[in-house]
Amino acid sequence: MRALVIDDSRTMRRIIAGILRPLGFDTVEAADGQEALDALEDGLDVELACIDWNMPNLDGLGFVTAVRKDGRWRDVTLMMITTESEQGQIVRALAAGAHEYVIKPFTPDAIRDKLQLLGLVGLQESA
Amino acid sequence: MTFDVDIDAFQGTDPVYTIAEEVFSAMIDGEVGHLRAWAGPEPTLTDEVHAWVDVRGPVQGRVLLSTEQPTARRITRALLAMEPEEPVGDADLADALGEVANVVGGNLKALVTDPGALTLPEVSHDRPETTPEDLIYALSLDWRGRPLVITLWNLP
Repeated sequence: MRALVIDDSRTMRRIIAGILRPLGFDTVEAADGQEALDALEDGLDVELACIDWNMPNLDGLGFVTAVRKDGRWRDVTLMMITTESEQGQIVRALAAGAHEYVIKPFTPDAIRDKLQLLGLVGLQESA
Repeated sequence: MTFDVDIDAFQGTDPVYTIAEEVFSAMIDGEVGHLRAWAGPEPTLTDEVHAWVDVRGPVQGRVLLSTEQPTARRITRALLAMEPEEPVGDADLADALGEVANVVGGNLKALVTDPGALTLPEVSHDRPETTPEDLIYALSLDWRGRPLVITLWNLP
């Protein structure tokens, strides 16, 4: 499986990618929503996108909205990973089409648990 | 509207400390117990580095994290899983410390009613310009024996 990690912080991209790789994901990184959208337009095939909210150019909510509007990417699982922890923001993201929502700070276990709920990680990987 | 966080509403727990402790235990230390309240007189920072995010909208405020360069490098190494003495570049330090400020600030923003939007983090050796009367709250912390100060500010 391949995951697209979208965050303007290189540090956070490395942390998230470092959690995903042992779970069986190849990872590709993008520094904002527009860079990620361009990669998908160029044919990048991913099963999972982990998306920050606050980013330059195109933010995470904009990316989720754009991906959900396009049938080519209907099978991509969208997981927001963000500091935006107000209930209203979570509702906005889920309404826009995000499948899951993780609030920073997170632990590797929290990411594994969410991926397991989404059916992207089996029990053996999460043990 | 001001960027007031009602500290007293948290039944004796300090939400700023609680958030900072969660950030450090989850993402930097991998365990609890390395971040605690600073004991003794307020620390004087030398060789400073500052990271901050602003909240812009109906509420205007700034969350500022201040520490010393060696501590910032150590935080960066921990976040990036680097070796203890591995050199830390300026870009990595700015990115890592900025992200810590972003996570602390984002969680604090959630405690404010109708807070508006968080800006992208900024990092500088120079303390950002603030007016003393706009200081809302200051919390001095001890991370592995070195000082780290979180302050909340009203912005015009």
